[in-house]
Amino acid sequence: MTRKIRLTVNGTARTVEIPMYRTLLDCLRNDLGLTGSKEGCGVGVCGACTVLLDGKMISSCIALAVSADGHEVTTVEGLVGDERLHPVQQAFIDAGGFQCGICTPGQVVSAKALLDAIPNPSDVEIRDWMLGNLCRCTGYYKIIESIQTAAQRSRA
Amino acid sequence: MAHRIVGQPIGRVDGTEKVSGEARYAGDVTLPGLVWGKALRSPLPHARIVRIDTSRARSLSGVLAVLTAKDLPSILVGRRMFDMPMLARDRVRFIGEKVAVVAAADPDLAEEATTLIDVEYEDLPAVFDPEAAIVAGAPVVHDNPGAYEGAPAERPHPNVQSVLRFKLGDLEAGFREAARTFEHTFRTQLAHQGYLEPHAGVVAIDHDGRVQVWASNKMPFRLKELLSHALELPQEKIRVNLTPIGGDFGGKGSLMDLPLAYHLARVTGRPVKMVMRYAEELMAGNPRHPAVITLRTGVSADGRIVARSVRSLFNSGAYAAFKPAPSVSLGGASMGAGVYRIPNLLIESFCVYTHNIPCGHARSPGEPQMVFAEESHMDMIARELALDPAEFRRRNLLRDGDHLANGHHLEHVRSSDTLEAALKAAEYSQPKPGPWIGRGMAMTHRHIGVGFTNAVVRLGVDGHVTLRIALPDTGTGAHLVLRQVVAEVLGLTVDDVEIEMATTDDFTTDSGVGGSRVTHTGGRAAYHAAEKLKVQIQAEAAKLGMPVESLPAIARAAAREGRTLEASHFYDAKAHGAVTSFTAQVAEVAVDPQTGQVTVRRFTTAHDVGTIINPIGHQGQIEGGFVQGLGFALMEEMKSEEGRISTLSLGDVKLPTIQDIPPLTTVILEDPVGPGPFNAKAIGEGSISSVAPAIANAVADACGVRILDLPITAEKVYFGLKEKERRA
Amino acid sequence: MNAFEYAAPRTLDEALAVLREHGDEARVIAGGTALVTMMRQRLVRPSYLVSLREVSGLARIEAANGDVRIGALVNHREVETSPLVRERFPVLAETFRRVASVRIRNMATVGGALAHADPNQDPPVTLIALGARVEIRGPAGAREVPVEDFFRDYYESALEPGEVVTGVVVPRRPAASGAAFVKFLPRTADDYATVAVAATVSLQPDGERCREARIALGSVGVTPLRARAAEALLAGQPFGADLLRHAGESIKNAVDPLSDHRGSAAYKREMASVIAGRALTQAWEAARAAARETR
Repeated sequence: MTRKIRLTVNGTARTVEIPMYRTLLDCLRNDLGLTGSKEGCGVGVCGACTVLLDGKMISSCIALAVSADGHEVTTVEGLVGDERLHPVQQAFIDAGGFQCGICTPGQVVSAKALLDAIPNPSDVEIRDWMLGNLCRCTGYYKIIESIQTAAQRSRA
Repeated sequence: MAHRIVGQPIGRVDGTEKVSGEARYAGDVTLPGLVWGKALRSPLPHARIVRIDTSRARSLSGVLAVLTAKDLPSILVGRRMFDMPMLARDRVRFIGEKVAVVAAADPDLAEEATTLIDVEYEDLPAVFDPEAAIVAGAPVVHDNPGAYEGAPAERPHPNVQSVLRFKLGDLEAGFREAARTFEHTFRTQLAHQGYLEPHAGVVAIDHDGRVQVWASNKMPFRLKELLSHALELPQEKIRVNLTPIGGDFGGKGSLMDLPLAYHLARVTGRPVKMVMRYAEELMAGNPRHPAVITLRTGVSADGRIVARSVRSLFNSGAYAAFKPAPSVSLGGASMGAGVYRIPNLLIESFCVYTHNIPCGHARSPGEPQMVFAEESHMDMIARELALDPAEFRRRNLLRDGDHLANGHHLEHVRSSDTLEAALKAAEYSQPKPGPWIGRGMAMTHRHIGVGFTNAVVRLGVDGHVTLRIALPDTGTGAHLVLRQVVAEVLGLTVDDVEIEMATTDDFTTDSGVGGSRVTHTGGRAAYHAAEKLKVQIQAEAAKLGMPVESLPAIARAAAREGRTLEASHFYDAKAHGAVTSFTAQVAEVAVDPQTGQVTVRRFTTAHDVGTIINPIGHQGQIEGGFVQGLGFALMEEMKSEEGRISTLSLGDVKLPTIQDIPPLTTVILEDPVGPGPFNAKAIGEGSISSVAPAIANAVADACGVRILDLPITAEKVYFGLKEKERRA
Repeated sequence: MNAFEYAAPRTLDEALAVLREHGDEARVIAGGTALVTMMRQRLVRPSYLVSLREVSGLARIEAANGDVRIGALVNHREVETSPLVRERFPVLAETFRRVASVRIRNMATVGGALAHADPNQDPPVTLIALGARVEIRGPAGAREVPVEDFFRDYYESALEPGEVVTGVVVPRRPAASGAAFVKFLPRTADDYATVAVAATVSLQPDGERCREARIALGSVGVTPLRARAAEALLAGQPFGADLLRHAGESIKNAVDPLSDHRGSAAYKREMASVIAGRALTQAWEAARAAARETR
């Protein structure tokens, strides 16, 4: 049993026919070729699959693709604008906020959503917002620095 | 000596691909006609396979193939000892062992098909505890392990995979000399490396029969060798295409599911992708060995260690296949001697077969286990001797010219300096801010890794230099470090140096990533290749009468004569030199006496390092290693009972989150004496091993409760406090 | 996951009709965090999913005669950040804030979480302490069940076949009262509780002695629990360490925790008492402060 769904992905209208059991993550990665979002834990805990659904962070690995029918999805690929990195992405490079990079798409999507909601977040606010984004390489210190750097730069 | 590029905090070269999602990991690779493979796994820890019926699975629409052991050659796989079948043949030896494999049009269908395979098992007696496994009459995991290729010769019991020994002096004489003797036993838990990218691989067979592989594996040449062995194909028929890896920490050096992906590709005529679900990683993903370690130490009247014997049992699970060292053991066992001069020493380390998940290498293999035991033991002895733990250590620290347990002698030893630096930065001797607060220390050391690597540097007509290597970046930032090395030698900026990822077609060999060796071996290979290229450029410039700096002109002039300026170097680092790196750490903790909860208030980590090539990357390794050590100490555990792992979700395994990290102070003692390029040492595995004992020692200081088994949970501290009250 | 059919009706009546038609084979899906995870692990295999996402009228938070009514499709993050909830029941906003991460809270709904009936969840604990009621609609019409009676067993609620949760009503609190929610999670910051306690205390006109206390606990058995015997001990009494100890002993006897990855039954039993003491102390303090203000 398949269904044709219509969703806006990174500003572009996409139509795709998928079986009901297809998760939003698998739809993005396999049906739409957007492999930036990753499957890590597969149970919504690690955040590697984070995308924005109508501007709000969700775990796409436990969302059904059909539930995104008629909605807007933003993935890490949508953060780049005019061939330039989003300030959050640039900050992660400059402050060493990534190592292996597998959690990084989820981290930058979540961080972008954070700075959209709270442009000048405190340390506590950063840790609250980013709790669901696990990282095994960095120990988080440089992730926090990266977000603080991005926030500082957009204030300047 | 100040360098231009080396030592600069330059941002990562692969940054743009990583932050934009463009980087293609093995699981992201897609090819036309790709199908998905999925394994059926055993639900029993030890059983005979009576019958397998795949007919229902085959008839599911969208399923292209179903394979069992009888469809495959009976070749055993491994990294050094080849004791593991690709699919269980006549029996299963652990819950999670692969029994059959399916190829289907999408991963959900493939998984669905595995549920339609009917297997009849006959239970067999099983053993799970390593002590019980080496007792006479214990159920035997492998009937004749000595017959396996790569099996070590010594086998006191059929369930012993390997015995590793370190000996110095005369143990009996040493203990006779001792004024007092202390013995303690410690236990550490089953723990996963916790990389967020589960094992993934794609195998495709070209029309000319060449096998193309993309895999989450950090040693592509060894992978090619092992595949050649497993698939009975000459190495030239196999090409490993390098991809970035989403975290390794020791766990991504084996074939894992690749041979099955190959056979599915062969049978279906389609490219096959296999990606483990995290639950499969937690059932069958070669995690860190649990350990039971007993130390017995003899001490003289003036607090010097005169003798030590250590016995460690590593619960290796059902197969030895995932261990890469020739000893088929864990080198970290040598840390039973700690950072101390011990004239009479015997360390005996057993890797034991049981019907559990087969274990492998994890960051600093064997060391976090051994150092937890050893550094806790040191503090317990200090307490018995009424000595400050720092003072007890000072009396026994290694010095220049001393020997390690493995016989290597040491130079440029900065053990004392590192300890004092940590204590000072941690304000160890200051009064504590309140009750139920404690401080604890621990030390470790790690040799620089060795191996061999090829590098080629080439000058392009645009004046840019390309460094061609076959070492994947597992995330450490190694590629940037190598670019910095080449830029430094050739007087360029980092932007002028590019990395070109080779495939296994381009070089004959490389040890790959691991053992904290890449800065050393890759760095040296790149350094020497760049030095050779520099000589060529200088000669060419002299011939042309051009300044050496005008690289584009030099390159173009050579090109007009049909020549490319290019140099290569193969670097083989011989066995460990006389230099090691010390780490000293201090934890300050608060214990909540009503609940036993342990909070790390702050943590100090001091490192004696060589020249730091990239400070951001270097610090990143320290921080990342520390937080893994923190998780090992306080949080992480894969729970297994009777061979059944109940923590089958990453949420259950309890990796540290962003809210769990304490304030961290890093102290660096930089000493340009390393064997790496520009006298660099290594850092990748330096900060993880002594975290748990530093915390355990701090907890004992805070509330008098000594935890002997990891992780240190609130519950254990709480009941420890209750026990203390009862005894008082 | 297995193959299934999926419908997203626009009205509750349609949804109930589809549920009735498919009986056991159908499951309701809202945020999907629990259900999709279980389906991916093959713990449940419904052949029909009825999504409530498009059903109108279920996603409001509104004041109704001093009570606050939260629709079943409201997600955790909305409750956490709702100005109305933060003003009237700050302890409830705080409780929803402790669930998982922001990302999960964006997805998981109030109704879906209640229907899932996991005794380790946080919101039911506070809802019980606040005396909240679950609103239900089904083939037989609408009914209400107090939250404390809504959970039957592990993953089993009082919903009859074909029924769905439509909302939860939180009744107004007396003036001189205080509430607290304490979640004890000693391993990592993202987890279910080892033990969680919510307490509400309202005071007698003297502003000191307890008029009524309600104590609810989570992660202490197959359902969240209300500690009525301990509550009875507190009625009419002034705050004191002995009283708390007494109540704590009573709670130890009332709970029947399950050993799991977050703690053994013995430890949870001890912690139920310790954490209840902390929650009661905080609630009592808050009640005294509120009483002083109203005087």
